[in-house]
Amino acid sequence: MAKTKKLSAITHPHFGCTIGGAYSVTAIKGAVPVSNCGPGCMYKQYFHLSFLNGFQGATGAGGGNIPSANVGENDIVFGGAKKLDALLQSTIALYDSDLFVVLTGCSGELVGDDVGSVVRKYQEAGYPVVAAETGGFKGTNLNGHEIVVKAIIDQYVGEQPNAPKKKGLINLWFEVPYFNTNWRGDYLELVRILKASGFQVNVLFGPQSGGAKEWKKIPNAQFNLVVSPWVGVGIAEHLKEKYDQPYLHIPVIPVGEEATTAFIRQVVEFAGIDNKKSEKFIKEEEELYYYFLDSFADFFSEYWFGLPSRFAVVGDSATNLAYSKFLADQIGLVPVKQIITDNPPERFREAITEQFRNISEDVSIEPEYLEDGYLVEQSLAEAEFGQSVPLILGSTWEGDVAKRKNALLIEIAAPASEKVVINGSYIGYRGALQLLEDIYTASVAGN
Amino acid sequence: MSKEIRQIAIYGKGGIGKSTTTQNLTAGLVERGSKVMVVGCDPKADSTRLLLGGLAQKTVLDTLREAGEDIELEDILKEGYKGTRCVESGGPEPGVGCAGRGIITSIGLLERLGAYTDDLDYVFYDVLGDVVCGGFAMPIREGKAKEIYIVASGEMMALYAANNISKGIARYAKQGGVRLGGIICNSRKVDRERELVAAFAKELGTQLIHFVPRDNEVQRAEIRKKTVIEYNPEANQADEYRELARKIEENTSFVIPKPLTQERLEEILVEYGLLDGLEDQYSI
Repeated sequence: MAKTKKLSAITHPHFGCTIGGAYSVTAIKGAVPVSNCGPGCMYKQYFHLSFLNGFQGATGAGGGNIPSANVGENDIVFGGAKKLDALLQSTIALYDSDLFVVLTGCSGELVGDDVGSVVRKYQEAGYPVVAAETGGFKGTNLNGHEIVVKAIIDQYVGEQPNAPKKKGLINLWFEVPYFNTNWRGDYLELVRILKASGFQVNVLFGPQSGGAKEWKKIPNAQFNLVVSPWVGVGIAEHLKEKYDQPYLHIPVIPVGEEATTAFIRQVVEFAGIDNKKSEKFIKEEEELYYYFLDSFADFFSEYWFGLPSRFAVVGDSATNLAYSKFLADQIGLVPVKQIITDNPPERFREAITEQFRNISEDVSIEPEYLEDGYLVEQSLAEAEFGQSVPLILGSTWEGDVAKRKNALLIEIAAPASEKVVINGSYIGYRGALQLLEDIYTASVAGN
Repeated sequence: MSKEIRQIAIYGKGGIGKSTTTQNLTAGLVERGSKVMVVGCDPKADSTRLLLGGLAQKTVLDTLREAGEDIELEDILKEGYKGTRCVESGGPEPGVGCAGRGIITSIGLLERLGAYTDDLDYVFYDVLGDVVCGGFAMPIREGKAKEIYIVASGEMMALYAANNISKGIARYAKQGGVRLGGIICNSRKVDRERELVAAFAKELGTQLIHFVPRDNEVQRAEIRKKTVIEYNPEANQADEYRELARKIEENTSFVIPKPLTQERLEEILVEYGLLDGLEDQYSI
């Protein structure tokens, strides 16, 4: 298997840089990111993670209007502390917010700006300001997401030594806001499932999050639930140490009835809560799911004009694993190429690879770990799709290869510039059917 | 056709006498009819004091900080001893920002403002202690100083530093035209100093271009904010700097240095008796 290499994307990257963690702040209702970096940095993050990624838009201090120090040459030579101080002062005056997060990019981190001391002044005066060291050289926006979350926990949530734990209350660590194109819809679906199964959820990000106040309740949760191959595990480990909170790590995001039902039972068992509510919910959802799948099966078996039988997925480890498993294990499509683009840390790679190797009974995949868009395209171009129409789940970057191969391209990862996402989801019970709708709509279109 | 300006960078261990040597050497060259610009590349901004008769110079970075981008050449370039042009790059507050980037900014600004005029014969860059980062290597990077002299003495640390600086030169020599012109020994009256530094220079593949003896006349001139040549033109030490100026003017030996290994450097020190002496001093 591939060893961890240094992050090496020369062209067509499938991720933002560390300071893209700003969009995790934007995803917290009412929170304001403050970027301490060059003017181009945040603009790039916005285009890659939000605009050209399903045109997601943003509410509050997000989108293209994040307050920025717009660091220039003088701030490098003389240090950027004064400018940041002035920016913070006016940001706090202009925005009525209960959480500000300052993200410092490469330039400030390289010259050693003492951002901590600037921010501390505000913290000591009682303002809810947090500093996150997100120099772009530290990796992708996924690393940035974890850095930002830990900074908020340490500097804002703080020490709560006697916080009572509430049985059935979960801190949810799931997809990375904005980066995962369908994150809003996916959070809706997963939170719906957890709540209907008898849990209370600190959602933390997105439309159902309770803003900064909800973050203060993190220490009260019975446990942390990480639903991702690797992003968020570091956060859960940190919380275990800090608040003596256990965590449950489920690496595969559930898609479809079988996976989602198994997911619910695993979480319920771990929590030790009564399963009456969850089993009742499972039964209802199963009935609905198979009602629709039944009708779909009619089309699936009777459509004579050519449907895809082999598929490839290019995307981050979370979405790649989730969709590959559903299509291979539940729909019976043949996986021919799975390329993981988010450079997972070495310590998780073996486990991720094992998940792909055991993706379904009698189906085994050797995933490839590639970050450079050129290598991704090269490898994808070599995939053998046989006689049927090739199906590629990927990003806009895979558009050229898809065109050359006459393939169906379903955009599932950043950047995704050929779809508009409002609250669509491809996970859980209901999202799975949506995924099938989109794949097979593309398959029958134009025939 | 315009002649090429000889752009020279002076490096050496902190406190070895780079600024003193550069300014006295400049006075020697000016006496010989050359037109010289001295660019101090040290945040301490003390490279042109003797030529200007005091620390009257406002640094490039101070000017930038206060006046912003809108700067005229006169704001940062002052005329000193016999028309010598003096510039101090300066630096940020100690402990803040990036002094290395400051040097790059300053030299870039000098170029944009047209400080490098064709009538110049020499530009000297007086660079702080060591090549600590890319910014302090700026004067020897592409198209800037092609000639380097290292100021050293017979003291062990001075030679360590000189060897280290040679590593920086060797790196940039491979990419561009920068060459080492020689070692200037600024004597500290160490035993067998001349032989030791000459042997060290030879081992590096270069020359001991001049041995400047220790003479309190230098200190007397410095207290009066003057070079020796200006303060006491008749002094023996003034002749030493004149001699250094002549040798540099006539120098034709420019090499890519071959830095010594740590072991070899220490062997030379032992050969010339320095380490023996040290052991005597540090008896346990």
